[in-house]
Amino acid sequence: MDDPVFKTVDLSVSAGSKTILSPVSLDIAGGGVFGIIGPSGAGKSTFLKSLNRLTELSQGLRVTGQAYFEGQPVYDSAVDPDELRGRIGILFQQPVVFPSSILANTLFGVRHLGVVPKRDLPEVAERALRQAALWDEVKDRLKKPGQQLSVGQQQRLCLARTLATGTHTILMDEPTSALDPKSTEAIEALILNLKTTHSIVLVTHNLRQTERVCDKIAFIGIRDDVGTMLATGELADLKCCSGIPELEEYLCCELEETRPKLATK
Amino acid sequence: MKRKVIHHVCRSITGLCALACCGVLVGIVGFIVMRGWSALSWEFFTEQIALVGAAGGILYNVIGTLILLATALLVCTPLALAFAIVHSVYLRDSPHRGRLTVLLYVLNGVPSILFGIVGMVIFVQMLGWGKSWLSGGILLGLMILPTVTVTLIERITSLPGRYLEAATGLGLSQSQIIRSVILPQSLSGLVTGLMLGLARAAGETAPIMFTATIFAGATIPSGVKESPVLSLPYHIFVLAQDSFDPAVKAKLWGAALVLLMLVLGLSLIALPARLKIHEEANHG
Repeated sequence: MDDPVFKTVDLSVSAGSKTILSPVSLDIAGGGVFGIIGPSGAGKSTFLKSLNRLTELSQGLRVTGQAYFEGQPVYDSAVDPDELRGRIGILFQQPVVFPSSILANTLFGVRHLGVVPKRDLPEVAERALRQAALWDEVKDRLKKPGQQLSVGQQQRLCLARTLATGTHTILMDEPTSALDPKSTEAIEALILNLKTTHSIVLVTHNLRQTERVCDKIAFIGIRDDVGTMLATGELADLKCCSGIPELEEYLCCELEETRPKLATK
Repeated sequence: MKRKVIHHVCRSITGLCALACCGVLVGIVGFIVMRGWSALSWEFFTEQIALVGAAGGILYNVIGTLILLATALLVCTPLALAFAIVHSVYLRDSPHRGRLTVLLYVLNGVPSILFGIVGMVIFVQMLGWGKSWLSGGILLGLMILPTVTVTLIERITSLPGRYLEAATGLGLSQSQIIRSVILPQSLSGLVTGLMLGLARAAGETAPIMFTATIFAGATIPSGVKESPVLSLPYHIFVLAQDSFDPAVKAKLWGAALVLLMLVLGLSLIALPARLKIHEEANHG
């Protein structure tokens, strides 16, 4: 647990001539929940997606510098990005459930990675759904369409899908911002449960959530119009006396919003 | 006040135009049904042509047209899938994509008679097939390729990006994503395109009259070379030239009605898939 699960060295992202994220050098310790907070548009999600090279899907985004996952370089011609992404789970803001059954959705990733023999798949699905605290709600309707579930259940289904691949590292991009308070609570309980066995990097908008689940955090603020990693540490330390004007402004304004935001569809 | 007047005038004009369209449609269909209905009978579907079209039925014309359509379907499906995937997946960020689109529209604009004569040169003369159901099927398949491909491309490009992102995030390779995300979700586009294309191909005469179909004397083909089929559109084409004979005229309208029903049937098969697309576009 001493080795960092992620380490970035001067990792920066640009689109054309515009820098989106100025160089970030950061160690994210294995195990526990590492939170990334900051105002909208600062590049939190972009940073998260640069860790598993999902930025490559966005046309025109260019990543420079280096990131290491479990000690291995991420940006290297010898790395197969699909294989890398297969080892790092990810959860998005809006749950993405494919138009197929709950069972097929749970097994969507693991089935294609080919790491589990076919006859073990039902067992893998059950274990993942239990881990995501969804099993009791869906065990009688595994063949029903996944899109019939509530949004909160869908997000847990996405979590189960990621867990089914056997990953020990999960990136979460504001996973509760589309959810109601009760579903948010369920996801947070899951995060707290999972952090004993998994490393989680959590981008969030919600300071209360940060307080509840994160062990350490990094603050990405906007300085000179460019997203910049301005501080890292424990929230309590950063809260009282960081001396960083952007962070202080963010903390004062965000704390007034106690309820998680409901995303408009 | 003035705005209200303009509004009502515009509404009346557009309403009248729509009404005229519907009128023409219903008129044509009604005309064919009225003239053709009396010719329809059990024997009309189960007997073969007799007395140079003045008697007998259209059994082998229907079968021939179905053979041509099935061949076109088999030819067109893999080509359209390949074309659409290259166009909207592999060339997603490439400037060549625009060129491929232009190519499709040019192909779509090629008059059907040109398909006929090019097919005649290649299949009948160079390959020496004579008249063959296979050349007709291939030509019809190529002719509807743009329709099918464009429908499929529209479906693929309208797939929500979050599906691709989620599948990529799970570690699926591009070919796995094509197989398990893109293809299953654009199937309805393929079906729609194929049915619309086949509905058009069913009535085409020009591409097959030199290459695949004859008026009488063919049944079910047993080989490729010198194996023509009968077909509905060519049957109508020939009978129309002899339609001064009342017996021929009755059979002509009967054949026309059967062709119309076939085309209508194909369009109806496409309907549920099209409705599904709309539903997803509105609620997705």
